[in-house]
Amino acid sequence: MKDRLAAAVKQSRADYTEVRVERTWSSAVAFRGRRLETATVSEDQGGFVRVLNKGCGWGIASFTSLDELPAMVTRANELSRAVRLEEPIRLAELAPQTADGVLDLDGDVRGIPLAEKKKLLDRYNTAMLGVSALIVDTQASFRDEVSEVWYVNSEGTSLYQLRPEVVVSGTAIGRRNGSIEKGLESIGLRKGWNSVQGFENQFRVVAQRAVDLLAAPRVRGGAYPVILDNELAGVFIHEAFGHLSEADFVYENPQAREMMTLGRRFGKPVLNVGDNGAASGLRGTLPYDDEGTPTQDTALIREGILVGRLHSRETAAKLGERPTGNARAISFRHPPIVRMTNTYIAPGKKGAGFKDLISDIKLGVYACGAFGGQTMLENFSFTAGWGYMIRDGQVAELVKDVVLAGNLFQTLDRIDHIAGDFTWNQMGGGCGKGGQFPLPVTEGAPHVRIEEALIGGDV
Amino acid sequence: MIDAVLARARGKGGVDNADALWRRQEQTAVAFESGRLKAAGISEEAGLNLRVLSKGRMGVAGTTAATPDPTALLDRARASAELGEMVELAFPDSSPQSQPRIPTYFDRTANASLDNLIRMGKLLVERLARPDCQINVAVEREIAETAVGNTAGARGEYRATGIAVAVDITRIAGDDVLMVYDQYVGADMPGDADLETLVRSVETRLTAALKVVTPPEGTLPVVFTPAGLAAVVLPLEQALSGKTVLQGSSPLAGKVGETLFDERLSIIDDPLTPGRPLSRPVDDECVPSRATALVAHGKVGRFIYDLETAARAQTESTGNGRRGIFGKPHIGYTNILFRGRDGVGTPQPYALGGGLIGDIDDGLIVDDLIGVGQGNVISGAFSHPVGLAYRVQRGEITGRVKDAAVAGNAYELLKKIGGFGSDGRWLGARYSPSLLLEGVSVARR
Repeated sequence: MKDRLAAAVKQSRADYTEVRVERTWSSAVAFRGRRLETATVSEDQGGFVRVLNKGCGWGIASFTSLDELPAMVTRANELSRAVRLEEPIRLAELAPQTADGVLDLDGDVRGIPLAEKKKLLDRYNTAMLGVSALIVDTQASFRDEVSEVWYVNSEGTSLYQLRPEVVVSGTAIGRRNGSIEKGLESIGLRKGWNSVQGFENQFRVVAQRAVDLLAAPRVRGGAYPVILDNELAGVFIHEAFGHLSEADFVYENPQAREMMTLGRRFGKPVLNVGDNGAASGLRGTLPYDDEGTPTQDTALIREGILVGRLHSRETAAKLGERPTGNARAISFRHPPIVRMTNTYIAPGKKGAGFKDLISDIKLGVYACGAFGGQTMLENFSFTAGWGYMIRDGQVAELVKDVVLAGNLFQTLDRIDHIAGDFTWNQMGGGCGKGGQFPLPVTEGAPHVRIEEALIGGDV
Repeated sequence: MIDAVLARARGKGGVDNADALWRRQEQTAVAFESGRLKAAGISEEAGLNLRVLSKGRMGVAGTTAATPDPTALLDRARASAELGEMVELAFPDSSPQSQPRIPTYFDRTANASLDNLIRMGKLLVERLARPDCQINVAVEREIAETAVGNTAGARGEYRATGIAVAVDITRIAGDDVLMVYDQYVGADMPGDADLETLVRSVETRLTAALKVVTPPEGTLPVVFTPAGLAAVVLPLEQALSGKTVLQGSSPLAGKVGETLFDERLSIIDDPLTPGRPLSRPVDDECVPSRATALVAHGKVGRFIYDLETAARAQTESTGNGRRGIFGKPHIGYTNILFRGRDGVGTPQPYALGGGLIGDIDDGLIVDDLIGVGQGNVISGAFSHPVGLAYRVQRGEITGRVKDAAVAGNAYELLKKIGGFGSDGRWLGARYSPSLLLEGVSVARR
């Protein structure tokens, strides 16, 4: 296959040409309530070509019919030449890479019968349904894939990568009269069959939470000191800060560049943030990104100061920085754009625990789990799965509808305590940007305290 | 393409029943980044989705292979069915209802050259360029061919076009980030008037947002613009899906015919609306298209169904089956139209507030909320920080508010609608005016 790509690249008349071909084997099982929705095996394949010419823009072609590869290289070249640019697009220097990056399959999902996958998911689904008669509905899904990706460009890079992925998730819906609540569990790994066994109890826990939330009051809106649990702190750093550190946001925008000047203080000295695409075994992990750049651990905030950002080769060249291996595409249907991989808040002082964060809070909110998050750069929102009031230094009653609304600059600056209890959130789902969703990413964080944050809700 | 696989399904060693969908899509896109044309691209994709009923059980398989092997696809679908559930689907047949005729394919759109698309983008960039703003424009044209059919003899075939022109403007001043977004989406190319409306809409939103004012606080009247309405509409969309009803998690289950909303409110799902990209003569299960009254004069109307959900709920499909290349058909809305009594005055699709703010002493216009769809949507409750919102004082827009969150419950708020705006417009697949809703909770920092 590499030879086929190399031949197509060789016959290209463009100044720069890259070709990516993917073949993805996947299987999926889903339950809704007690009923099986689907159990399928799929094979998807296609190609992507991107070319660049001096004085011209990007020409891009994606296609499912691989026989068309040579024709698509020609088409992409025509498209590039139709885009006239005064300021040329440059790509940061990168030594040619040639490698086979084969990630550990940890139980090759292609060898497991679909019936076994159904059985596993049935156990998790039954665990949720069995918690209470108040669990009126569930959604459970299992999805695995093994993706083979070939990448060749005209600078001599030639790569083959084998990327496994497995995601098991469940939503339990509890209902009592008119009120409806949900609990959500999701496990997502860049691994295989062996890594998703034995999670019955986790699924039971989320179903029980959906039931408990039915009786819980809504949190009262207002400003509180807030402690985020590991999962929510991870989602927070991804949403609130991670997207701003993607260099495609600043590279063409002088005002944005000023706002994100390296050296600017973003938080107190306790705050350290980074993105590590080379971390072992996580969902956002890749040996190489989709431009053939090796992934790495990139420091973004060090002791409260902005020290780095995430790059593609284009954004790195424009800003005179080095590519970081963050150019990613969700599939051959899309061009690579600047994305996160495994984004984290580094742990605080060793031994610093939850107790140290909560003990001096008179009235506050302990926000846990994440239903999701969205950012509009300066402003963001994230929805906790559930929460507790904090009263007189203690975790008090369960509350629901905990939505944190925030301003990035104020909120980062108000992080005043970070515990030492770091964990990665091994979740499914993914990140969305520029019409590309869901991109596998991971977030990691310890417990984090924000001196004051706005919680939405009735006032 | 589907004939071969359906023939194979009907043949010896075949299955009880089957239906299939083949779709080929070709997209052409141009992207302007920070006012400059940066990229042009095409994308071509074709795929075949097959569903079978084998020994009463349902299974599916899909492929994007250029020349699919019918036997291999059928084998995969049958293997899927071995694990599948029992169901009896009422596949539409060839005889009865004639398929409605509706224009879905517009030559102007299909034949628009790359230069056409670039010119349109350039025009918008030129009209909207401001020294303190970054402007991105994306123009995407799609041409699709669909063939759908089943072993009961039904066949549907149509071609469709779609075009989307999206503008987003970002203005950063110090740490203040302002983002304004709008779009034209249609099956036919936008005319000069459509592009003018897009320009005026973006300009109006941007100009009114330049000044930042303190947000109000308390329980207040709020005008939700067609874009801002998403948080209010989403719970209804979920609750009116036959799937949610069947699963027992819809708060509207068992309430058909009850008046739960303002009597002036009607909402329909209409796949036969001319000129919309989601309009089509048949759905993805070959069921002829027809409009469904979701809410009729404040009463809960009909839920929407695909074939499988209809079979399980012992009703009939409303023609809302949708399927991709992989996976089984599911329920999907087409075009959702709000049919409220329109406000007085001349229609102004780009006016902010839709003529509803005159009597507001203190309140908000909400044009965008952050995080819609994340919470416990089905319950109707929402709570979101504002993405783009304006304060209204003594009947006038006084500026943009930041660091505020709005919360409410869609079911409570829609019981009494304060007013329907005169700014009815399409936003993606939804047509609505602005709605004035009373008693929305507004919190600020």
